Amino acid sequence: MTIESSAEVKKTTVPPGRQVLVVDDDAELCELISQYLTRQGFAVETVHSGTKGVERALSGEHAIVVLDVMLPGTKGFEVLRRVRAQSRLPVLMLTARGNEQDRILGLEMGADDYLPKPFNPRELSARIEAILRRSTPDPTEIRPGVAELIVVGDIELDKGTRVARRAGQVVALTTVEFDLLETLLRSAGRVLSREDMVRGVLSREFSPYDRSIDTHVSNLRKKLGPRPDSLERIKGVRGIGYLYALSHGSSEGEE
Amino acid sequence: MRRLFYKIFLWFWLGIAVVSATLVASTVLTHSRSAQDERWRQRYGPMVDLWAHREAEVFDHDGRSGLEKYIGSFVKDPGVYGFIFDGEHEVLGRQVPPRVLRVVDQVDQYSVGEPRFFTGERIIGEKAFGPSGRAYVVVVTYPQPPIVPRPVFQYLFADLGRQEIIRLVAVLVVAAFFSLWLARHITSPIEKLRWAVRQIANEHLEARVDKTVVARRDELADLGRDFDSMAQRIDVLVAAQRRLLGDVSHTLRSPLARLSVALGLAREGAAPETSEHLDRIEREADHLNKLIGQLLTIARVDSGVDLEQKKVFDLGLLMEEVAADGDYEARSRNRAVVFSPSSECLIEGAPEMLRNAVENVVRNAVRHTAVETNVEITMRCQRVGEGPQATIQVRDHGAGVSEDAIAELFLPFHQIVDGMRHDGIGLGLAITERAFRLHGGKVTAANVPGGGLIVTLELPMVESNHQPYVG
Repeated sequence: MTIESSAEVKKTTVPPGRQVLVVDDDAELCELISQYLTRQGFAVETVHSGTKGVERALSGEHAIVVLDVMLPGTKGFEVLRRVRAQSRLPVLMLTARGNEQDRILGLEMGADDYLPKPFNPRELSARIEAILRRSTPDPTEIRPGVAELIVVGDIELDKGTRVARRAGQVVALTTVEFDLLETLLRSAGRVLSREDMVRGVLSREFSPYDRSIDTHVSNLRKKLGPRPDSLERIKGVRGIGYLYALSHGSSEGEE
Repeated sequence: MRRLFYKIFLWFWLGIAVVSATLVASTVLTHSRSAQDERWRQRYGPMVDLWAHREAEVFDHDGRSGLEKYIGSFVKDPGVYGFIFDGEHEVLGRQVPPRVLRVVDQVDQYSVGEPRFFTGERIIGEKAFGPSGRAYVVVVTYPQPPIVPRPVFQYLFADLGRQEIIRLVAVLVVAAFFSLWLARHITSPIEKLRWAVRQIANEHLEARVDKTVVARRDELADLGRDFDSMAQRIDVLVAAQRRLLGDVSHTLRSPLARLSVALGLAREGAAPETSEHLDRIEREADHLNKLIGQLLTIARVDSGVDLEQKKVFDLGLLMEEVAADGDYEARSRNRAVVFSPSSECLIEGAPEMLRNAVENVVRNAVRHTAVETNVEITMRCQRVGEGPQATIQVRDHGAGVSEDAIAELFLPFHQIVDGMRHDGIGLGLAITERAFRLHGGKVTAANVPGGGLIVTLELPMVESNHQPYVG
């Protein structure tokens, strides 16, 4: 309670959109993270149980959740599932080192990014910054009154409301999936390298052996389904990256 | 293969065969002996009858000298002697064997007008009357029938009737079934025990001896029970050890996580000279992190949880991704990874575990290959022996490994002694080996004559007509 109330106090001095909720059962670690992130200009609230974590995450008071998916009791994944069921709040999950399965499962369940634990706190704050940059629209890009719309084939992206539609039906995408789809659609018909995608979409340096971008692409494929002509929308290009395929004989305009 | 089975079967069957053949042979032989006796009886019986009357007549007429002449002309068969008694006296005064003397009385009393046979003694006697009415007793001895005038086998086959052959075959057939059953009874529990031993040797520690073995009541059942309790003990010990490894690593991770964050805090506003030490602490903490990560990976691979939900996927695609990643890493260090793809290669298993496994080999090769050389990865998917198999070879152009270190390459915490490896943690290749073994494959390494190491990874493939896992 003392931590929460201290977070409340700090929130007033921190600009909006920088409230971080940390859900981890290790109280001492939470305290250290809280100290570190506070110095980086975040307002930090820490919670040590899954149930409390879900409750606080759905309160709408935070810009991002840092979730340890290895929580005992109510599993961290259960927290992630319940948060995703009701909210698109960005989630950065902390996974066990040496457990690729957790990372894939978490990303499939809609986590925005992951960090293997133990981690370097600089990396943690960089990832949080990257996710927040994506999820809070850049004020310079927003032209009031003009809702930017990207249309390719049966897919429609509304940049203003961050809503994606397939054949008029809303498709629930996480922040990172929305950005990934946007990047792919903007260069539809052209091959994007995995390297560029990691830099552009995940806002971090590309490191080989990190397959998170592929997991995100795979999730996006599953959510969008095949094209009306039953071909794969997002094609893998061996050794390079991915390509959003344009249907033959039609040149849908962008914007 | 099943030599004990055939040994037991053949020994018992042959044993029974020999015994029964001996029985049949001896029956046939003794039977032919009595048949011989019968033949002699039929031959000498009438002759003795004739002689007795003639001798009585001759002796009555011509006395002793006439009889001597007569006998000389008559009895020519070797071993056949005729004696003629008048009362208790041999009329020619010859030496009489005791066995002959013993029967004279009997012949005198019972045998009138027809020969009396003493088969066991090989004697025929008859009482005859001469023309004068005097009674004489004539006794003729004949020899044992000859035993080896022909080889025994000739007898055997000559006298072996159809019945004997049928009996012999019947005995052999029954004996064959019996021996077969016996051989199976003894060897089948041994086969089952052997299966359990092999399972344990392949680290399937949950394997136990088949119930049918333990249910017996003999030494093999005891052996089975002892084996089971041994396996149980090993299983418990190994599981405890693995759990310990996993638990220790888990427990170590929390203080390390705190240490990493505390380090980050300490860095804030640290003096430059302190920074240098903090860098060092960070490097060591990173090293510990990686080590714990690998320990957890190995514990996870050993636990087999990832194999509970298997997927069918294309190993070729996975290899291509790993090769591309390896190439990316290698290029920054002025080396390259070259991959020669193959046709689709469907594998059933845990893709992430296998990705990690091949990645370790590729990264190891990238680390050791000389500057401006390539790590070459080839892949073949074909039917070899038992079933379709995927073979991946990763070849580097480095210094290779000393021959005696090759065998230890896949053991945990192996460090190459010559100091070539300094950045490795020593668990990567052990993880690879375990992951492949868990998938029914194997990993081997060999030095290339031209320099460098070649690591061969083999995996059984799925028979086609499976749908590949997508995404």
